[in-house]
Amino acid sequence: MIIGLQIIALIFAFSMVYFVVLHFKRGEISKSEIVSWIIMWAAAIVIIVFPELLRKFASTFLVTRVFDLMVIAGFILVISLVTSSYIRTKKLEKKLEDMVRREALKKSK
Amino acid sequence: MNIFIVIPFRNEKKHIGLVVKGISKYKLPVVLVDDGSIDNPNLRFKNVTLLTHKINLGKGAAMKTGADYAIAAGADAIIFMDGDNQHMPGDLPKFIKHLESGGCDVVLGSRNYSYGVPLIRFLGNKFASVVLAILFGIYVSDVLCGFKALTKKAYQKIRWDSTGYGVETEMVARIGKTKLNFCEVTVQSIYHDKVKGVTILDAVGIMGEIIKWRFTI
Repeated sequence: MIIGLQIIALIFAFSMVYFVVLHFKRGEISKSEIVSWIIMWAAAIVIIVFPELLRKFASTFLVTRVFDLMVIAGFILVISLVTSSYIRTKKLEKKLEDMVRREALKKSK
Repeated sequence: MNIFIVIPFRNEKKHIGLVVKGISKYKLPVVLVDDGSIDNPNLRFKNVTLLTHKINLGKGAAMKTGADYAIAAGADAIIFMDGDNQHMPGDLPKFIKHLESGGCDVVLGSRNYSYGVPLIRFLGNKFASVVLAILFGIYVSDVLCGFKALTKKAYQKIRWDSTGYGVETEMVARIGKTKLNFCEVTVQSIYHDKVKGVTILDAVGIMGEIIKWRFTI
């Protein structure tokens, strides 16, 4: 991995840590959530600074470059986050629909 | 037969009064469903029930709220009309006649192309008709027409999940799946507002939904 890309990745990771802390201070995420996110981003920072740590791991999965492994892991993470977010949104939509319709029927004039 | 008229609408301050006035001579109970209007309609009509969604949920949800109210109030059948004054109250007797004769569980309006349906909507509509015919074995000439009627039994069988404009298509898919008797009547339609209604993006979403319904309904 080239140095320039590492710098960009570090800036991104630290920005995400900042946003996580900001959301925690605003009371939008819980203590357990901030701890999970910080651990995740701290791990990401370690891997960005010392990518060689993953070399053995990458060869186990027959992936030649550490960068490729990180891209694959990133895709898996993004797809799972999008899926869980979609399911949560659907559930929320249904609850909201039920509530608004129930209110409308209750207050018929 | 106790027939209710259900009219979902959103931001139709200009037209909704005309719609109510037009149908008043038929002396049928009317249920208006305001789906989160932001044009401050402040409506007051005599002998009309007004249900209000505090936020916009979509046409399908508004139709369901109106239909649930009508059934709870003792309706044997429901006629749906759009709130933008595009349907002619003069077509109501055609629906009433079919419902009262008992021959059809569902009466679907079909807009005649010569009455001013824009070409793009006409083509999209025909495409949806063909897709539904292939996937659900039901051919309806005007899938997207909002002027339609259902008996109580039919409503209970095809109660839809769509909250938005997909409702018309889902209803046809469910009619095909449940093998309900349906008939079509020709209705007039006048487009007052070309920017409202189903957009191309909605249509793409609905096409995806049709495939989903093939496996879930």
